[in-house]
Amino acid sequence: MQPEPAQTTDVELLKAIVRQDETALAELYDRYRVILFGLLVRILNNREEAEDVLQEVFLQVWRRAADFDENRGRPFTWLVTLARSRGIDRLRNLAARERVAQAGAREPSEEVSDAVADAFRSEQRGLVTSALSQLPEEQKRALMLAYFDGLTQSEIATKLEAPLGTVKTRMRAGLIKLRELLGNKSTTFGFE
Amino acid sequence: MSHDDYREMLPARALSALDAAEDRVLTNHLDECAECRRELDDWQATTAGLAFEASPLEPSAQVRERILGQVRSATVEASSSKVIPFVQPRKNIWSSFGSLGAIAASILFVGLLVYVVLLWKENRALQSQIATLSAENTKVHKELELNAAAVKLISSPGAKMAELGATPMAPGATAKIAFDKTGHAMLMAQGLPAAPADMEYQLWFIVGKEKMPGKTFRTDGSGSGVLIDQVPAAAMNSAVFAITVEPKGGVTSPTGQIYLVSRS
Repeated sequence: MQPEPAQTTDVELLKAIVRQDETALAELYDRYRVILFGLLVRILNNREEAEDVLQEVFLQVWRRAADFDENRGRPFTWLVTLARSRGIDRLRNLAARERVAQAGAREPSEEVSDAVADAFRSEQRGLVTSALSQLPEEQKRALMLAYFDGLTQSEIATKLEAPLGTVKTRMRAGLIKLRELLGNKSTTFGFE
Repeated sequence: MSHDDYREMLPARALSALDAAEDRVLTNHLDECAECRRELDDWQATTAGLAFEASPLEPSAQVRERILGQVRSATVEASSSKVIPFVQPRKNIWSSFGSLGAIAASILFVGLLVYVVLLWKENRALQSQIATLSAENTKVHKELELNAAAVKLISSPGAKMAELGATPMAPGATAKIAFDKTGHAMLMAQGLPAAPADMEYQLWFIVGKEKMPGKTFRTDGSGSGVLIDQVPAAAMNSAVFAITVEPKGGVTSPTGQIYLVSRS
C-alpha cells in the first residue's frame, strides 16, 4: 500500500486563510462542505436555506479566521459550532420550527462518493452513531431536539410534556454518557 | 449562584439549549471564569460530534463558486484598481484644461484610495494592538483577583495552609494549598511541566488509605496553575495533598505518577 501524501492540517489552512489565501479557504470548504451541509439541511430541512447559511459560514470563516484559537479546540469543533449556531439562528428567525416539525421525514441523503465524505461516514460518523445508540431513548431524544431542532430546555419540556428538571437531568446525563462513550475521540474529529 | 451551579449549565450551553435568562447569567460568569470557559470548550468538542448524526449531503457546486466569487471581489475591492482612465486628447485649449482637470481628479482619486487603504491597514494594526493590550490587562486583572482571593482565604479565621513538595517527576515544582474552616480551598502551583495532551493535573486528598479526588487543572506557559476546590470534610484535619497527572476531566482513583505531595 502506498503511503498517503502529507496533508495540510486544518490549523495550517486557517492560518493561511488569515493571510487571505483563497486556495486554503477552498480546501477547507472541500473538506467540510458535506458534513456541514448535511448538518444544516437537518436543522433547516430546506436545501436552499442550508446552502445560503453554508455560504455565510465560509464567508465568516474568511473574515474571522483570526478568531480561531487552537488552544481552545480543533478547527472541526469551531466550524461545526459556527455552522450550527448560524443554522439555529436562521431557524429561529424564519420561525420555521413548526414547518420542520410538520415536515416529519427528513430529506433523504444523497450518495456522496467523495473520499472525504467516505472517511466521515466510515469512521467518525460510525463512532458517534454507535455512541448515540447506547444512550437511553429519552436522553437521546432530548439531545436531538436541542441539537437539531434548536429547542431550549423549557421548549423540550413542553414538547415532551415532562418536568423541566427531568429534561435538564436527561440532557446532562445524556451528554456526560456521550462524552464517556466517545472518550478522547471527540478531540480528534476532523483532519489532523 | 455557586461555581458548581454554573458548571451544571455548561452542557446545556454547549447545546444552545439554555433559556434566555440562564444564558445571560452564564455568559457573564464565563467572562470571568477561565475554568468554565475551558470546560465549555470540552463540551463543545463533544456536541460537535453530533453533527455526524446528520446524513452527509453534497451542496450544489454553485455554493463553492459563490463563496470564492465573493471572496475574490472583496479582495479586489480592498486592493483597489490603480488604473488611470484613458483620456482622449483634445485640441481645444479649454478642453485641455478640462482634460488636465480630469487627470488631476483621477490622480487625486487614486491618492485618496491609497490613503484610505493605508488608514484601513493602520486601523487594523491598532485594533490588533488594542486586542493584545486588552488580553494582557485581563490577565493581570485576573492575577490580581486571584492574589486578593488567596490573601482573603489565608487571613480568614481558622485558615490552614500546606506546602506541597516536588517529587522526581517534577524537580523544582512547588505548590501551596490554603483552605478555610468551611473547606473552601485554593491551590497555587508553579514550575510544573506541561501536562501531555488529553491529560490534566488532578488534586488528591489522602486520609489514611483513602484517596479522595479533587478537581483537575492545567498549567499556563510558565508552568503555573491555580485551582479552586473544596476540601472534603474527612480531609479537613489530617490530609495529605498530592497532585498527579490523569486523563482529562479527572478520575475517581489515581492512576498517574505523583508530581507534588505534602508531608503527612
